[in-house]
Amino acid sequence: MSFIDSLLAGLALVGNIEAFLALGAGVAIGVIGGAIPGMSATMAVALTLPFTFAMQPITGILLLLGVYKGGIFGGSIPAILIKTPGTPASSATILDGYPMAERGEAGRALGMALWASCTADLISNLALIVFAGWLASFALNFGPPEFFTLILFSLTIIAGVSGDSLLRGALSAVLGLLLATIGLDLVYGTNRFTFGSPDMMGGLNFIAVLIGLFAIPEILAMAWNPTAHLGKTRSLGNKWVTFADYRRCFRSIVRGSMIGVFLGSIPGIGAAPSAFLSYSEARRKSKNKANFGKGEVEGVAASEAGNNGVAGATLIPLLALGVPGDVITAIIIGAFMVHGLQPGPMMFVLNVDIIYGLFIGLIVSSIFLFFIGTAAIRGFKYVADIPKRLLIPSVLVLCIYGVFAVNNNIFDVGVMFAMGWVGYFMMRYHIPAAPFLIAFILGPLLEDNFRQSMLMSGNDWMVLFRGPITWFFWTVTIITVVAIIRAGYRAARNIGANRLKG
Amino acid sequence: MTLKTIFTVGAFAAGLTATAALAEYPERPINMIIPYGAGGATDISARTIAEPLGTAVGKPLVMANVTGAGGATGSVAVQNASPDGYTMLFARVGSHSVSPAMKATLPYTLDDFRFVTVYEINPVACAVNPSSGIESMEDLVAKVKEGGVTYSSSGVGSLLHLAGAMVLREFGIEDPLEAATHIPLKGGGAAATAVLNGTATFICTNSSALASFVANEQLNPILVTTAEPVPGFDAPTSADVGKPQLEQLVGWTGIAGPAGLPDDVAAKWGEWMATATKDEDFLTKMTERGSVIELMSPEEANEFIETQYNTFRKLVDELGMRVEG
Repeated sequence: MSFIDSLLAGLALVGNIEAFLALGAGVAIGVIGGAIPGMSATMAVALTLPFTFAMQPITGILLLLGVYKGGIFGGSIPAILIKTPGTPASSATILDGYPMAERGEAGRALGMALWASCTADLISNLALIVFAGWLASFALNFGPPEFFTLILFSLTIIAGVSGDSLLRGALSAVLGLLLATIGLDLVYGTNRFTFGSPDMMGGLNFIAVLIGLFAIPEILAMAWNPTAHLGKTRSLGNKWVTFADYRRCFRSIVRGSMIGVFLGSIPGIGAAPSAFLSYSEARRKSKNKANFGKGEVEGVAASEAGNNGVAGATLIPLLALGVPGDVITAIIIGAFMVHGLQPGPMMFVLNVDIIYGLFIGLIVSSIFLFFIGTAAIRGFKYVADIPKRLLIPSVLVLCIYGVFAVNNNIFDVGVMFAMGWVGYFMMRYHIPAAPFLIAFILGPLLEDNFRQSMLMSGNDWMVLFRGPITWFFWTVTIITVVAIIRAGYRAARNIGANRLKG
Repeated sequence: MTLKTIFTVGAFAAGLTATAALAEYPERPINMIIPYGAGGATDISARTIAEPLGTAVGKPLVMANVTGAGGATGSVAVQNASPDGYTMLFARVGSHSVSPAMKATLPYTLDDFRFVTVYEINPVACAVNPSSGIESMEDLVAKVKEGGVTYSSSGVGSLLHLAGAMVLREFGIEDPLEAATHIPLKGGGAAATAVLNGTATFICTNSSALASFVANEQLNPILVTTAEPVPGFDAPTSADVGKPQLEQLVGWTGIAGPAGLPDDVAAKWGEWMATATKDEDFLTKMTERGSVIELMSPEEANEFIETQYNTFRKLVDELGMRVEG
């Protein structure tokens, strides 16, 4: 079958009203699900799954993909408006989105988040269609040693999100690494820092830590000093994102999308690290470097491009290898199997009409996301107008409910509050929370992949240098670390010079 | 109102409650705890049976995923619940026979639960990468003797961890833990990928987890542990190789309540499951995913799990695989 034939077969499959309805409904469900803290895109997809069993395979899968894509964008809405990421992937969006909302530019931040998400989504889908085979075989070269070096490199992000003091950033990261060690040891299965409690055996729940670290400190600060915010503008205003903004951020958006595509095509990384990596790269390259973390629209664009860039690309290992790249695609693979479809190389031969149908649907989904997202922003923007004394207590209720709902476990709510106090004291002593979070995500991955590498090689260190991919990451890690040290040295010398002058 | 009337009303009300307690179980929705994450094998199985089961029960089933620590967190939630039949658990081979056999630190034992059914059996298959040059169990055993063989699992105390060791031992490797290296990964998907990209030499896991890789010729099956062949898996069965002991090595999903579950409640579940598993829709969905539907009564289920646990426990003790501390 030629390309045109396959395309037409695909078109015939999705060229009906149900498929488009399912896609649109999916995006809408995803945006709303993602916007509810604690609900997260994963849960939204899992809850939609049973409804797809009775549908045509392509319709059902498009519905789930719509939920996925909508959810990843939807998470940015509460991240910007109430400093509570709706999904883990949108935690990087907080860094600049929330300061913008505080400044009365919530509309601009949300608009940029949407435009960046849609652009990244489109790039990601195109990458899937054009490079699926090539990227998949590349991704298959990623064993534990390659992962280890990639994550080692990713840890250099910490320098980018540390704010003014690298030392404070490092302190925050060490704290995150420490808490990430709680749970069962990967290789021996023994308990680590669980203090005999079965609840601790699973480690600290990621969403509980996330919400505790970002949203709860705001609530505590409000309780501490209920009138501190008075006099600050916090309305949405008429400020909407302009095309000039978009053009200025375009490079960061494309770079973020590429990072997303790259990390998305490798199974097991996920959208959150990608968003942070995209953010720190944008900051490194930007002219407005100093403004990052204080409400820079380019920061929002980069984070959202980073996480939505993953969404299409995670389907690369799924379709080309049959390997789910993250939790969400693991659920989607279930939908394939229920319909008797087996993702993998053979699917490109046996069910090529479904593959092309999916491709067409995915491209359309980016357009749907744009319109449904615009509508959602219009709906949610009133949150920014709610007086803070009313908003904050409702956020607290939402956080408690959301964290409980993740696992139906009251212990997680306790974790959230404990982390809330940690976050509050970090905030008071100007210790940034983002490095904590990055270390909390990447720390266990670094450890696991290191130990897996050692197991597979029989404790031979040379496995960490086994091929071009590892060399590449070692090189960029060293370059980045040297650059960070030099920048730090220069900053210190400037301060010294200024002191001499003064 | 005199004191007497109050007492009378009180006594009457108490009487009403007592009658209510004796009324037909169930009189309110039943909480069903799934100790694994959404979209996993247990979750899909649980949500598929929930449909016909809910009809049979006549009251809503409230499904909740309580995840963490390889199924332990959710299991503990049911262990500590009151045994009134309103909090039940979807138990799985990992959480209720491999983990108890392997982990001394587990906060529960099999005695803390009463099984009301096992309804799904998942055959286990072993597979290798086609480019490894291994085409049969004999090839694999020869390779193990040369050294450097690894196998992947979804974590310590998972079925995959035990399966790799058990299969090698059945094929005459005296000390499989020394002869082959176990590489634990995070989750079943990652474990299969490890064999796909050459990180590990072989994997033994539920056939449904391997089905798509086998169909796509990305992985080559070399053994299935059931006596019957598994559709789509062109590999010798445990009967073909004459090792009936391997038939113990299967995955399953069942339903359990806390230890003190009354007999009449267990009997009720037996009836409901008999109705639910006859559902056509349920049967097609499950068999398409590679499961074998085999309904066990409460007694059969308890005996089945006990036997499997003892087999595993014996192996774990012999090999010194038990995780202490």
